[in-house]
Amino acid sequence: MKGFKKVLAMLLAVAMVAAMVMGCSGGDDAKEEAPKDDAQTESTDNGGEEEAAPEEDTQAEALKGGGSNIIYIITPSVSNPAFKAEADTATAKAKELGYEVKAVSHDDDPTKQTEAFDNAIADKAAAIVCDNAGADATIEAVKKARDAQIPTFLIDREINEEGVAISQIVANNYQGAKAIAEEFVVAMGEKGKYVELLGKESDTNAGVRSSAFHEVIDQYPDMEMVAQQTANWEQTEAFDKMEAILQSNPDINGVICGNDTMMQGACAALDAAGLNLPVIGVDGSDEAAALIKDGKATGTALQQFAVIASMAVEQADKYLKEGSTGLDEKQLVDCIAITKDNVDKLSGFVFTE
Amino acid sequence: MAGTKKSGNNNQLLMTLLKGRTFIVLIILFIFFSITANNFLTAGALLSIAKHVALYGILAVGMTYVIITGGIDLSVGSVAGLAGMIAGGFIEQGLTLKMFGVTVYFSVPLLVLITVLLGGLMGMLNGLIITKFNVAPFIATLGTMYIWRGLANIRSNGATFSQLAGHEGLGNTGFNFFGSNLGGTSIPVGVVIMAIIAVLAGIVLKKTPFGWHVLSIGGNEKASKLSGIKVDRVKIWVYAFSGFCAAVVGIIATSQLVAAHPATGESWEMNAIASSVLGGTSMAGGVGNIGGTIVGAFVIGVINDGMTMCGVTEFWQQIIRGLVIIVAVIIDQFQRNLQAKMALQARNENK
Repeated sequence: MKGFKKVLAMLLAVAMVAAMVMGCSGGDDAKEEAPKDDAQTESTDNGGEEEAAPEEDTQAEALKGGGSNIIYIITPSVSNPAFKAEADTATAKAKELGYEVKAVSHDDDPTKQTEAFDNAIADKAAAIVCDNAGADATIEAVKKARDAQIPTFLIDREINEEGVAISQIVANNYQGAKAIAEEFVVAMGEKGKYVELLGKESDTNAGVRSSAFHEVIDQYPDMEMVAQQTANWEQTEAFDKMEAILQSNPDINGVICGNDTMMQGACAALDAAGLNLPVIGVDGSDEAAALIKDGKATGTALQQFAVIASMAVEQADKYLKEGSTGLDEKQLVDCIAITKDNVDKLSGFVFTE
Repeated sequence: MAGTKKSGNNNQLLMTLLKGRTFIVLIILFIFFSITANNFLTAGALLSIAKHVALYGILAVGMTYVIITGGIDLSVGSVAGLAGMIAGGFIEQGLTLKMFGVTVYFSVPLLVLITVLLGGLMGMLNGLIITKFNVAPFIATLGTMYIWRGLANIRSNGATFSQLAGHEGLGNTGFNFFGSNLGGTSIPVGVVIMAIIAVLAGIVLKKTPFGWHVLSIGGNEKASKLSGIKVDRVKIWVYAFSGFCAAVVGIIATSQLVAAHPATGESWEMNAIASSVLGGTSMAGGVGNIGGTIVGAFVIGVINDGMTMCGVTEFWQQIIRGLVIIVAVIIDQFQRNLQAKMALQARNENK
């Protein structure tokens, strides 16, 4: 025991000495960086003035990037395969173009996202590619990056302000939801009772998808919605809600879901009840593809996450080299309606013709 | 004799090292990340870490008080979220008094005061449930955690308040002060607030009768009661303080984002608890100090930001954070045993 203590004490002492030695060398680093920091603060001041008239200056003066060769890729949790596809594609593309990549997840927490942006700024990132955590809550973070000369390229979700980010590349949810709703109407035979599972209501996409569904379905007078519930984009919640709905409405003929994760939950609940009805989702995940292949689901609208992510990185590269992407800030990428006819071409959010 | 003395000295050195263990860990982390992450050791990066630490550091100060009394406060994250929504709502929509048919817009200092007082009241309610109805702190605050989160969502129907700049005409501009830097310097206001709260809380805990009462309740509640301490009252104030801290955090967080989001503060209570524990606060109560808690908060902050800047993925970050917490508590136990042994030794030598 005594020996152990001695060893421990020795180790800690060595660690402390090492701390002092390296602390000093670290200090030199800090000095070297200091002038750069001043430059950064100055540019922040300029940025402040720029903010007053963002629109004019946007075109006039291109952001140079923070100074390093790092691209920060900030996405929601990669435990969701869609965001994993997004982060992985962006990472691969950026590496291919010769950048160093740091991929960070914000777990849909705007504060955590701001921290990631702060880290990127401190790290002097060249550009940020971000799938954001909130249309309003992200604006300030993007502005801060802009003040630090770092261009931000938003993917998958928009923010409620233009002229702050360089690009906002999103899937055309509206078109995708409409396309798959048409398949749903066909599968239902243009009549019958159906249930809708909505996404998280604070998310704009949930509203956009739902209204696109209804724009198509409401044209058919024999289609009747008997229940509409939010399942917060989640599988377990969709399963529970679906079982509850089946108790009160055992005679439904179809289900529409705001995303694929909820579609999985709904299909599982229908399966458990011994039902096989037309079900649609949006996203285009591999799990959804499997359900479509098994005939348990009708279809899904593929949001081309991988395409969107690599577009963003390409535009970041072009912008850093040429000072402009040559494209509009808001760009829509069409969704592909996936049914059992073309489901074989879908894998890992990539649709190969 | 000489042998005993030597081993005593060794023990003392070890003791000093163990007491400063969190600080040593912090230094080691600093060195590690300044080697592995290029831009880690720059003023900008360090200030941004301090800014992030301020959020759960303030939560952790309140949490330390609660844990010292032998309790726990799981509702702090939700209180922070609700406080942000209250403040954001006051700025964007004002307070509509239906009976008078008017909408009142408060000035920023006033609405901040109202918000933090409401935060204190929310905490006080925790204290009341725990002391007057004899509900275990874990359960009581778990319940209020859900209630406050629900109310935060109800306040705006799940939407975000984003017009936090205020209007000149309504006299409620200036809310972004709490998320900005202190006039002219690059020191974030949140860090200054944390420093003030931590220093005051540290002094109260160590130097005032109230602080001693808090420590003694955690040490032995029954004995404290019998010696005339108003245990219930002290506990209620401790929970109120925790609620107050949470509301302050809510204001700083929404001000930094310039948007009040109802999900703000989800799972932050865990960071606060971890900071306290890393700082040497005993979950059994009776032991803890504010300085340690702040160092603990910095350890977590440095790990988070450092790993992000290293490009470590989220999943590994979780594992490393978990390991650091467990190892810290193991060393904590080791130190406590050693301390007891040394006390015994000293007593024997005096005989």
